[in-house]
Order: sequence, then C-alpha cells, then structure tokens
Amino acid sequence: MTVDFPGVRALDRVSLSFRPREIHAVIGENGAGKSTLMKVLSGVQQPSAGDLRCDNRVVRFRQPQEAIAHGVSMVHQELHLVEALSVAENIFLGREVTRGRLGIRLDRRAMHARAAEFLSMLGAEIDPRASARDLSIADAQFVEIAKCLASDARVLIFDEPTAVLGEREATRLLALLRRLRDEGRAVVFISHHLEEVVDHANRVSVLRDGRLVAEFERYDGVLRCKEGKPSRESALAQAMVGRALGDLYPTRERCAHEHSRIALEDFGARGRSAGISLSVAEGEIVGIAGLVGSGRTETMEAIVGLRPSMGRVRVDGTVVQFRSPRDAMRCGVAYISEDRKGRGLHVSLSSTVNCTLPTLDRFASAMGASIATKRERVTTERWIHELGIRCARLDAPISSLSGGNQQKFAIARWLEGTPNVLIVDEPTRGVDVGAKAEVYRVIAQLADAGMACIVVSSELPELRGLCDRVIVLRQGMVVGELARARLMLPDAEEQLIRLASGLSETKAGACEVS
Amino acid sequence: MRSLVNSSSTPLAASSRIGRLFERWGVLVAFLLLFAASTALQGGEFASVENFRNMLNQNASIGILAVGMTLVVISGGIDLSVGSMLVLAAALGLTLTNELIAREWSEGSAVALGICASVLCGTLAGSINGALIVFGRLAPFIATLGGLVAFRSVALAMADAGEIRSASASLFKVLGQSGLPFWNFQNSAGKPLTITYATMMFLAIAVIAQWFLSRSRYGRQLVAVGANETAARYAGVSVASVRLRTYIIMGALAAIAGLLQSSRMNSVSTSQLGLGIELDAIAAVVIGGTSLRGGFGRVWGTVVGVLILGMIANMITISGISPYWSGAVKGAVIVLAVLVQRSRA
Repeated sequence: MTVDFPGVRALDRVSLSFRPREIHAVIGENGAGKSTLMKVLSGVQQPSAGDLRCDNRVVRFRQPQEAIAHGVSMVHQELHLVEALSVAENIFLGREVTRGRLGIRLDRRAMHARAAEFLSMLGAEIDPRASARDLSIADAQFVEIAKCLASDARVLIFDEPTAVLGEREATRLLALLRRLRDEGRAVVFISHHLEEVVDHANRVSVLRDGRLVAEFERYDGVLRCKEGKPSRESALAQAMVGRALGDLYPTRERCAHEHSRIALEDFGARGRSAGISLSVAEGEIVGIAGLVGSGRTETMEAIVGLRPSMGRVRVDGTVVQFRSPRDAMRCGVAYISEDRKGRGLHVSLSSTVNCTLPTLDRFASAMGASIATKRERVTTERWIHELGIRCARLDAPISSLSGGNQQKFAIARWLEGTPNVLIVDEPTRGVDVGAKAEVYRVIAQLADAGMACIVVSSELPELRGLCDRVIVLRQGMVVGELARARLMLPDAEEQLIRLASGLSETKAGACEVS
Repeated sequence: MRSLVNSSSTPLAASSRIGRLFERWGVLVAFLLLFAASTALQGGEFASVENFRNMLNQNASIGILAVGMTLVVISGGIDLSVGSMLVLAAALGLTLTNELIAREWSEGSAVALGICASVLCGTLAGSINGALIVFGRLAPFIATLGGLVAFRSVALAMADAGEIRSASASLFKVLGQSGLPFWNFQNSAGKPLTITYATMMFLAIAVIAQWFLSRSRYGRQLVAVGANETAARYAGVSVASVRLRTYIIMGALAAIAGLLQSSRMNSVSTSQLGLGIELDAIAAVVIGGTSLRGGFGRVWGTVVGVLILGMIANMITISGISPYWSGAVKGAVIVLAVLVQRSRA
C-alpha cells in the first residue's frame, strides 16, 4: 500500500509511503508538520496540492469517515471515547450491529462477543460491558485501537501514543504495535521518545519545517540512514533539530543543600496518597517517579490547595495550609500542571493574558479597575527573550504556538511571581528535543539560583539527568529514594521501574529506603 | 512506488483574512445596512438622528439587561431570571415609595429610598442566583430557571398580580421620560431633541462594562473563567468570587432596567413588565458575537445586537406588517447571526 501526499501549507512537497508489515515512525520538532500530515492522512484536512494514493489509486479524503472507509484510521492523542457508553458500544459506534429486517434493533450480544474478540486480539483484559468512564488511560487507548480494528483498518496512525502512558503501559502498547505490524498492517506513529523509535520502528521519517529532511530504514536489525551508517538516538535528534545537540541535560555544580525550603510531614492527598515525608532544600532538584495512578500529581496538587490534603506542609519552617494556588503563590510556592492544554494554560487566550494571569494583581491598579496593558506586554516580551520563546504575535491565541513554546510560557507565568519553591509536573510532556534541553536548562538555572524544585516525571532519563535525588511513589506511598550517586549507576532506571511497579521489595531494601 | 508532487503555499490566507474581518465587524455592517433600510422605509425626510434617538430610548432598559447578560454569558453561564428580577425589584421599589409618600415623606426622599431599595433587591436576587450556582453547584440554567419562576411570583403576590401605580406624580417618571437637549438638534415637531436619562444610563453602563471587560482585573478573570474554569483555578483565579460577582452585577443591572421601565410608565404591571425579556437579552448577546460557550465576548457587539433587534421591531411596525411576524424575523436574524459569526476553525 502506498499513500503519497504533498504540500499543505505546513507541509512542503512531502512524499512518503507507508507499507504493510512496517512500523513507520514520523518524528520532528513541534511545529515541523507532523500533525498536519496526520490530519491530511485521516481526512481532517485537505492537501492544497498533490495527491494521496491508496493501493496505487488516487483517493480524496474529504472527511474522516472517508479515510476510515479506505482503511486508514487514526488513534488520537486525546482519546475520543463517549464516556456514557460501554466499551462495546464505543467500539461499534457508527457501525452498530443490528438484527431483524429493519436494521434498527441492536444486537448487543453479537457486539459484545465481537468486541471481546477484538480486545483479546489486542491482549487487553477489558470487559466489553464496562463503562468507558471507568477505563484507565491505557485501557481507553486499547479500546480506541479496537475501534480501528473494528473498522477493518489497514493503516493505523498513532499520535504520540505513549505520551500519556506510564513506562509499563507503554511497553505493552509498543508490543501491540509490533503485533499489528506482524498481522500485515501498516502502523504509523508519531513520537517524541526517540528511544522508542530506535527500538521499534522499521522506517523513520524526519520532518523539519514542513519538509522531509531525513529517512532511516532498518535492515539487519539496525536502523540505518540512507548511506547505510547505523544510527542511534543522537543521529535522529540531530536530524530533527538540524544541528548537533549539546548535552541534553545541563551540568550543575552540586553543593550541600542545607536550608530546607519546603517540607512535607506525613503528607498526602486525601484518598490518593498518604504518609509522605519529604524535604527539599534551597538549590535542590528532587524528582518524583511513579507509574500513572501512583498519586504523584494528586499529591502535588494537594500541596497547593487544589485537593483536600492530610498532614503538614512547612515552607521555610512555618506550617502552612494553602487553600488555593493563589494562596500558595503568596508564600512563594508555584505548581505547574502536567495537563498543559486543560489546566496549565488557557489555550484560546493570548500569550500575554496567559503569561500574566497568575500575577495579575501586580499589573492592576485602582483596586483592579485598570490593568497596565503596556507593562503586561513588556513583561511578556521579557520572558520571550529570557526563555527563548518563539512567538510571533503576543495577542494571538497561545494554541498557535508549538508545545515547547507553550510549555515555556506555562513556566514563565509562574516564574513571574518569583517563587522560592517550584513544582513542575511532567515538564517536557509533548515537547520536542530542542525545547526539552532548554526547559532542563531553565530548571537547573533556577535551582542554581537557590530555588527548591520538585520535578514529577514519567521519563526516567529526565529524572536521572536532572535531579539530585528521586523519590519513588507507588499507590500513594513513598517506596524508595535514590540519591545522586545511585542515580549515576547504569541500572538506575531499572531500579526506578522495579520500585515503581513493586516488582522486588527485597532489592528496594538494598538501596537507601528512607 | 512513490510520486513526488510539487506544490507550495496556498491562497487560503487571503480568504480567511476577509472571513476574520467579517467575523469581527459583521454585526456592525449588518446594523448599518438595516439602519439605512429603516431610514429609507420611514421616508427620506425622517431625520435619522431622531430615529436613532428613539430607538436608543425604547431599548435602553433591555440594553442594560443585555450588557449584564454579556458578562454572564462570557463567564460560561446564563441568567434566565432577569425579567423576574426586574419586575420584583421595580415592584418593591415602587411599593416602598408609595408607602413613604402615604406617610407624608417628601417626594424626593421617598423616590430616592425606593430606588435604593430596588437596586438592593436586585443585588440580593442576583446573589441568590450566584450563591446557588457557586456554592450549591447548580447549573446556571437550573438555578436561574428557579429564579425566573420564583421572583415574579413574589412580585405578583405583592400586588395581587395587578398594577402598582406610582404615587410620585412628577419625580419618579423623570428617569425614564425626561432628558437633556442634544446639541441643537430638533425633533420633527420643531422642539429640541432630548437624550433621555435612560439612554444615558444605558450608554454609560455599556461603556463602563466594556472597559471593565477589556481593561480590568475582573474582566480578565471573567474571560479566563469562561474560557476554561479549571485552568483559571490552577492559575490562582478565585473562580467562585468571579462568578458570584457576575451574577450580582446582573441582578443590580436588572433592577436598574426595571426602574427605567417602570419610570417610563410611572407604574409597574406585575404580570406584564419584563415578561420574556430574558430571551431578547440573550438574543442580543448572541447577535453581538459573544460565544454562548463562554470565554469570549464583547459589550459593544451586544449594544449593536440590541439596536438590530429594536430596529427590526420598528421596521415591522412601520411597514404595516402584522406584528405577529416579528418573531419569525427575529428568529431568522438570531440564527443567521450565529451562522455567519461562528469561527471557521
């Protein structure tokens, strides 16, 4: 099967073909044109020139349904399940199986049976009768894939499938991708995880500024570029950014951390975590690891008053209890949410509005009746300069920026309040390699300037590269702590996974459990 | 099996720019066209300044409601109870005024106290709505549906569903009936053209509201709450306070609108005043380009929306078409306005 396609505004004369029995990874920085490409493929957007071929016939997808009818299905990054319906009903949504001559009576039994068939084909243990509302993100993704199979998809397109998954779920999903490939389907996936790409893709296409800049192909089990040299992650990254990347993680001078900025004592988010004791000193970066659902995010949200909490929080020695992020901000504690689109930013509002919202009081005069808009602009421009944000128009909706640049604004808006404690949840989710390095550099600089930083992350290399020590949470409890020296050992990631998934209690005991 | 297809950027940008311009200024264009048509219909010599003045005067009180409704809609809510708050506040204010005059207070202080009581009543009704929505976690539609039914019922009970006539012979009606001369313009009878106090209040309230919306901390937070409540909460905005304030402002504005209407008639008909006015207010907001989903809106658009609705009613009366048709035309205009203005994503 060949799908050729062409120049949309964001894509300039790109030609690619996706073949059966292949996992084809499409990588590129944010804004490189990956999303546009996927939109064209799935029928959301039309190419302005050039054509799309399916089995060597020119086709036009005016709507997603037409793409699906041709066997091209997309699994979106944001899942689109109807929560009120059951798993089986979701899988057959729009293709309901009916019985009787009129074709209006739903054949529930047949749908459940076939849904169960698809799900077991995927190796997922999900009850087709369960409500979609109760699914975990990973399970919901499996249901999405089952939906594609139900529509007899021959080309499956995944948009950052592992971004929302924990390490273990991601492994399961990647195994599934391989299986789908082996069944003869063409699997296309977009990813920011280069490791994943190197390990699983048969073919890699690198986009940059809407052009196809490099292609890699796997033979003899090794990913090679056109000249046949074997390629590792660094080569991919280099092709993406168009320049050699410096070290992804900044080097920091690590000094003794004495003055405790924030301390949790027997702390927990009610119902989600408990008994967490942790102290973060001036200039220290402490990582929080754990699987999805381990209560990491909930605990952090409880600190700043977004959820009901238990236990005590001390900031600079005084016991505090924040009722809202605003309260926390006054005491110099800032929390940057993992969910940039839903919680961290107002995507429909402008960069300036987003940049100044948490500190709006500083720009208001006459009891809030007047906002100094000029000063707001100056401040926004200062952050654009300081963090190297690429932003053409300050008054355009922030959704027009790439993920990396949005993330920098999400950080900037809180730095504007000059916090002493910065809690960052998934600082580089959905952020390209180039911007990742810059985000790390910013966090390191802040710590060097004396800020206490807590970094929650699912990316283990990130925790290793950035943090002074890492706390591991599992089911809402601290199950281990890895100090800097331990993090430097080559098996640190494995150790983190073991702790997080509760694989070996004995081994956990061996490494500095606090 | 690969084909290379040559292409570069598209002419799409130009057409979308016109689309965006239309999205922004379309209401104004529609208004000017309607205004021209209206003037033509009513005869060439019909002074357009006087035409305009009359329209503003007739629509001042619904305009004030619509301005408040704009804020409510931007916050992501809706207020169905405005007509009932309006009649309740007006009835209460007038009853108090009459009572004081009966006790031989001076007319001035009786009217002043009545007005204060009226606005206070509106504020209170608005805070009940707000409290139900913020603390009771009711959907705005439900909470204010309750208000729509309940507030009018209180007003009806106060006057046995009848009319409350003002005992203030000259002072109370000044608000809705008198005004100040407008430069040297004269009306068709050759007398100086006056701008009524009601019109002035409408315009002043609109200007202040537009300022607050685009330039104040409250306005900024209002838009943030409407656009994404969760994100606003995460950014440290006090969502409860913003929403509460919005419904309170709405209540106070409804009371002012009620005062202007009752002052114009110098009486309050508890079964008629403000009946169904909430739908007109919401229609004006929507025509003005404010998104019913919240998070985006503009007061000036609402003002234009009010005038468009007023003009349609005006044209239908004058052209001799049965007034029963006015609903059909209004309905078509509302739907058309939304169709034209919805953003082409």
